[in-house]
Amino acid sequence: MSDDTFMGVPREKIPWYPTIDYSKCDFCMECDKFCPHRVYERREGEVKLVVAHPEHCVVFCRACAKTCGPDALSFPSKPETIELIKRLRAEAEGHDA
Amino acid sequence: MMPERYAVLPCNGLDKAVGPLAREIAQVVVEACRGELVCPVLYNNIPALYAKALELPLIVIDGCGTRCASKLAAEHTLKVARKLQVAEALKETGESAGEGLTPDAPRLALCRLLAERLLSAPEEAVALDTDAGFAEPAEYATVTHDKFIFRIPLQGYLFDENHCWARVAGNRVRVGISDYMQQELGDLTFCEPPQMGAEVGQFDAVGSVESVKAVADIISPVSGRVVAVNPAVAESPEIINEDPYGRGWVAELELRDLEGDRALLLDGDGYLALVRQKAADYRP
Repeated sequence: MSDDTFMGVPREKIPWYPTIDYSKCDFCMECDKFCPHRVYERREGEVKLVVAHPEHCVVFCRACAKTCGPDALSFPSKPETIELIKRLRAEAEGHDA
Repeated sequence: MMPERYAVLPCNGLDKAVGPLAREIAQVVVEACRGELVCPVLYNNIPALYAKALELPLIVIDGCGTRCASKLAAEHTLKVARKLQVAEALKETGESAGEGLTPDAPRLALCRLLAERLLSAPEEAVALDTDAGFAEPAEYATVTHDKFIFRIPLQGYLFDENHCWARVAGNRVRVGISDYMQQELGDLTFCEPPQMGAEVGQFDAVGSVESVKAVADIISPVSGRVVAVNPAVAESPEIINEDPYGRGWVAELELRDLEGDRALLLDGDGYLALVRQKAADYRP
C-alpha cells in the first residue's frame, strides 16, 4: 500500500518521527491534540505521553513541534534524511536491475 | 535618518518564556521608531481603539509557533509590513528563551539586537507584477472516489509525496498544495506564507495551512529563495480550496538546483498514480 512507502522507500526504513525530551516536556498534550495522524499516545503514570506510532508520522512534517511551548520535540536532520532516502532508492534500483 | 514609524502588535504570551521577550522587543521597536504599541488583548476586544495607530505600517511579533499575533492580524485583515517570530529567531541565533518569565541581561541585549534587525532589514517588495508563465493548467486528469473528485494537472507541474506542487517558469517556481491535500484538510481558515527572502531547502516548509480539522506544513518540492508570497491566500485562504493549482499558489521561489531537486519528485503521471493509491482508502 502507498502508506507503507515514501518516495519508493519502505516507510519503516526512514527514521522520521518526533523525539520527546522528557526533561523539557510538561505534558501539556498540545502536540497530541494537534497531530491528526495519531503518532502520540497518552499513558498513565509518570510519563504521560509517548511516541507510540512513529510510522504514522508524515516524513518532513514538523508541524507538531510548533505547538510545543517548552520546545521539547525534535526531529532528525532533513538533509541527512534526504541523503538516506536517495541511498535507499539507489540500492533498490540496483536490486531491480 | 529616523526610521519609519510603525504600529507594533506583539504576542501577549506571558505564560511562556518567549512571550516576555516578544513584549520586550515590541517596546524597543516602538521606542526606536516612535511608533504605537497595539495591545493584542485590548485590540481583540475593542479594535476601534487602535484604528488610528493601525494607519501606520504594521509589525507583528509572534512569540512561539502558535502565532497568535499573526492570526489576530489576519482575522482583522491587517496588512503586515514586517514580522518576527521570537522562537525561530532564537533558534537561528543558537540561543534559548531561558528559564523563567523574566528575561535576564543577556536576553534583554538579544532583544535589542533582534529589534534593531527587525527595523533595519530591507522591506522586500512583494513581486506580483507578473503571472507570466504561470497560466492555469490547460487540462486535468481526475481520480474519482465515492463523491470525491481529485484533479491532477498532467503537464507543467512537479509534485512531492507531501502533496505539494511546483510550477516552473524560467528561473522561478510557484509552489502550492494539491487538490487532494486541500480536500483532505477541508475548508481552510488560515494560510501562513513563508518569510520573504527566506532560503528554502528541498522539502523545507514554505508556510502552513490550517483548516477546521488540522494544520499542515506546505513542503516545498524545490529549493530556492522566496521572492514573492501570495497576499490573496493570506487574506482569503479559501482561494486555495477553490483553485489550488492556479490562484491558490502560496509562494514564489527563485530556483537554486532544479535538476538536483527533480530526481526526488513526481511528474503529473507519477502523482496521478500516488493519488489513485491514496484515494482507494480515502476517508474525509
